Order: sequence, then C-alpha cells, then structure tokens
Amino acid sequence: MASINHQASALKTGQVVLLVLLYIFLYFPLLFITYDSFVHNIIWPFPPEWTLEWYQKLLGMSDFHAGLKNSFYIGLFTAIPATLFSTAAVIGLLKYRTRWRGGMILLYISPLFVPGLLIGISTLMFNANVMGMSGKLISAIIANTTEDIAFSFLVILAQLVRYDWRMDEAAMVFGATPAQVFWEVTLPTIWPAILGAFLVSFILAFNNLEISYYNLGAIPTLPTIAWGSLRHGIKPELFALATVINMLVFSAIAGLFFLIQTGMVRFGYRGE
Amino acid sequence: MAVKQFLHSKDLKALALSLPGALFIIFFLFIPLATIVVYSFWRTESYTMIADWNLNNYLTILTTKTYLTFLFRSLSMSLAVSFISLIYSWPVAYYIAKYGGRYRLILTMLTAAPFFTGILLRVTAMQQILGPIGVVNMFLSNIGLKPLHLLMYSHYATGLGLIYLWIPFMVLAIYLSLLTFDFKLLDAAMINGASPLRAFWEVTLPLNWIGTCIGLALVFIPTFAATITPKFLGGVNGALYGNILAHQFGSTGTWALGSAMGVLMFTISSLFVFIVFKTVNLNRSGYTGKIAGE
Repeated sequence: MASINHQASALKTGQVVLLVLLYIFLYFPLLFITYDSFVHNIIWPFPPEWTLEWYQKLLGMSDFHAGLKNSFYIGLFTAIPATLFSTAAVIGLLKYRTRWRGGMILLYISPLFVPGLLIGISTLMFNANVMGMSGKLISAIIANTTEDIAFSFLVILAQLVRYDWRMDEAAMVFGATPAQVFWEVTLPTIWPAILGAFLVSFILAFNNLEISYYNLGAIPTLPTIAWGSLRHGIKPELFALATVINMLVFSAIAGLFFLIQTGMVRFGYRGE
Repeated sequence: MAVKQFLHSKDLKALALSLPGALFIIFFLFIPLATIVVYSFWRTESYTMIADWNLNNYLTILTTKTYLTFLFRSLSMSLAVSFISLIYSWPVAYYIAKYGGRYRLILTMLTAAPFFTGILLRVTAMQQILGPIGVVNMFLSNIGLKPLHLLMYSHYATGLGLIYLWIPFMVLAIYLSLLTFDFKLLDAAMINGASPLRAFWEVTLPLNWIGTCIGLALVFIPTFAATITPKFLGGVNGALYGNILAHQFGSTGTWALGSAMGVLMFTISSLFVFIVFKTVNLNRSGYTGKIAGE
C-alpha cells in the first residue's frame, strides 16, 4: 500500500511538471515577443536597449489604421449575428426538447470540423462565381460568421446546460408573457454566457487570417497586414502589433473569467 | 389530443429558435463546400470556370509524384502532431480535472487563452524562438555551443509549431470529458484489486474516449490543412499539402485543380474522423443519450 501511495505521489508530481512545462511552452514565445517589442536589438536582445521605436513605426505604417478599422468591423459584425443565432438555438434546443435536438447540435458544431483554409477557398469560389461578389468586407463577415456560430454555440451550451428551465415555467404560471420571461428571467441569468460567446466570436473573427484572406482581395485587416510584412522577413513592428493584440485578448479573457466566476455563482439562483 | 398539440407546439418553438442559424450554416458553409465539389470536376481556363465535366483534376493529383509526396507528408505530420498532443494532454487534463479544485477553471483557461491571439501572431512568436536567429539557437551559439539544426526551418520546427497551435484544443476536449467523469469509479476499481494502470486502461480511458476522439479530430483537421506554420517554420523544403492547395488559388488561378485538392483534403479528414469514432464502444463509453444536467 505504501508503495502504491509513493507511486501515486510520483505520478502526481510528474503531472504537475508536465502542466508547468506546457504553460512555459505556451507562454514563453508570447512573453518573449512582448519583450522583443520593447528592445532595439531584436536578434540577440541581451542586454536590452529599451526603445519604443517599433510602436512608433507600427503607428506610422500606411495601412495600419485601415487594417485596425476593418478588423474591428469584421469582429463586430461577425460576433453580433453569431451570438444571436447561437443564443436562440441553444435556448430553443434546451428549453423545448424535440427529436431533432441531437441532429441540430451536430449541425451547429459541424463548422468546427471544417478547417479555415477550406472555409476560405469554398466561400471564395462561391462568392466569386455564383454570387458575383468577391473582395468585399461582407463576404469575409459571412464566412467568419459560419465558423463563429459554432464556437459561440459551444460557449453558450456549456453554460446553459446548468440552467434550470423551471424558473421560466414558474414565471409563465404567474402570468408572464414569453417576452417577459425572456427579458426578466432568462436573460438576467444567462447574460454572462452570451457576453462570453460574443467576446469569443469577436476575438476569433478579429484575428482570423485564413477565412478572411481569401474573401477580402486587397482590403487590409491587421492579420493580412501582418501576413504581408512577414513574407518580407521579420519586421519588429509586428512584435509591437502582437503585443497590442495579446494585451487586448488577455484583458478580454481576464474579464470573461471574472464574469464566469460571478455568473456561475448566480446560475439557477434568483434570491431576492 | 391536447398533449399532442402541446408537443407539436414545443417542436415548433424549438425549430423557430434554432432554424435561422442552421439555415445560415447550410447556406453559407455547406452550399459553398458543395460548390467546390462541383468545380473539382470542371476545368479552369484563363481565370474562368468551364463546365466541362471530367476527372482530370483528380487524375492529376493522383498521378503527380510531387502532389502525392505533399499529401503523404501532411498526413504523417497530422498523425504525429495529433498523437503527441494526445499523449501529452492526457496527464495534464487529468491533473487539472482531478486536483485542480477551485483553480480548475483558471488552469484550463490558461491553456486555452493563447489560442485566441491568432495563428499568425503565434507563429511569429514561435519563429523568434526557433530558427537560426531564434533565441534558442542564439543562446546556444552565445555560450559557445553548436546550434540545433533540427530547429532551423525543418519539419520538426513545423511539427512543434503545430503542436503549439493546437494542443489547447486537445487539453480542453479531454478536460471537458473528465469534468463529467466520476473519479469514485476509479477507487471502486482499485478497491476490487485493479492496479492503477489497469483501472486507467479499463475505466478512465474508455469512459472518456469520446472526448478524446473529439480532441483528436480538432487537432488533426487544422493540422492537415496547415499553411501558415509550414510556410514560416518549415523553410524552403517545408511546404505541406495545404500550401500547394492554397497556391492554386493564388497567381496560378487553377481553381478547378485547387477545388479537387480541397475535396480530397476534406475526404481524408472525414475519413480520419470516421475511423477514430469507429473505435468508440458506446457500451463502454458511458453514453446515455442524454445531455449532462438532465
């Protein structure tokens, strides 16, 4: 028995080591380019010569502002329909049990199993040859929406399986209209999940390269600008861009974490 | 009768809420995918599609040695990357699910967070670590050692980059599966005399095999379609199948051939997913046909 305990604790230590190594593997490159974005000597940046020149160069890049604006539009106008579609679907499928539930859930998560490259080229071909519209912001937004419906569906589903629909029934019994039930019972409880899905879709569409690239033609977004300059060798301004985006993403995720933490406390509990 | 009507209206409500998004996915994802199936049997002439039904695109792919080499390379790369991610993610996800306690959520989100910073920027970051002027090799040469050629624009560098990109999916899929796993079952197995290894092999793994298969699919599919990672980490001879596919939609304008390559990519990915899910034994997977929480 003692040797089994000994084995178990050795196994546990091994797992901790693997977990820590995974975090180092995932974060060291991101932290290193953050550091790189602040130093003058990027090839061997020790000892550091601190500078902000890469940030100044980034701001001076000709299409940086247009790219930022377009990325923001793609993020926003993808996240809005993706969140609306998936919220409605999750509520419909969880609240009203039907025999199509399994099939519908499969349909909603199926875009996850289509790689971005294929979404990109197939929507390019479809838009260019069938719809007669290519190289437009709207084509990229539509293509990103199909993939991000799947992601936001999963985020909302993961949260709402814990939701107690009897709360809605109770409100109905006391004479609430379906609209009142939604606005006064369901929404106040599930909004963290919806906001989470919105943020996830926004971030994914904002940063997307493969789907957007094929649909945008010459319209710049932040990832396509980064792609363009990377092809001509490493440009330190990219480290500055990466740092800015990482900061935004990590603060959004920190906020999301906070919301889930507080939101979960409220799940299923409507104490007055 | 009243019950029947009630059921009917329930179906109707569920449909009314879930149909719009479903139609959106069908119209803007499935139909475009179907179009490239059609185009794969056409041909391209000076940047226009010509409806001249033939199998030449597929014959070209299957008889050109270069294309087959790329296909085989991508397949081995995806299998290796999925397998390594699987082996590595299991103990990590297991630890978080079993011992994470109230830090479970934050530990999991920390593994998932890098995914959201975008593929391109993560590959850029990886390029600063690997490669001839990456920090690893610069460090080695600064302390007077030989640089690691293995990490300089090679398939190993691409593989490491792809694991870097997609391992969060694997950890997440296994973790989510383990969340619904009752660890007391393990104690029961061990009290009845099973060794820890046997308990894992016969209880934990089969009961979490569906989640693991989802993880395998979520790593294999994007790896098989990788274009950016091999381009920036693989070097001159590092191109994979995704790169030659993407190339057909660039300046060459050979869309019909590219469509056929896309269809082949989709078919192979689906075949992989099909084979993996064939290994699921529903009787031993704990499948009840219900969603958790019901």
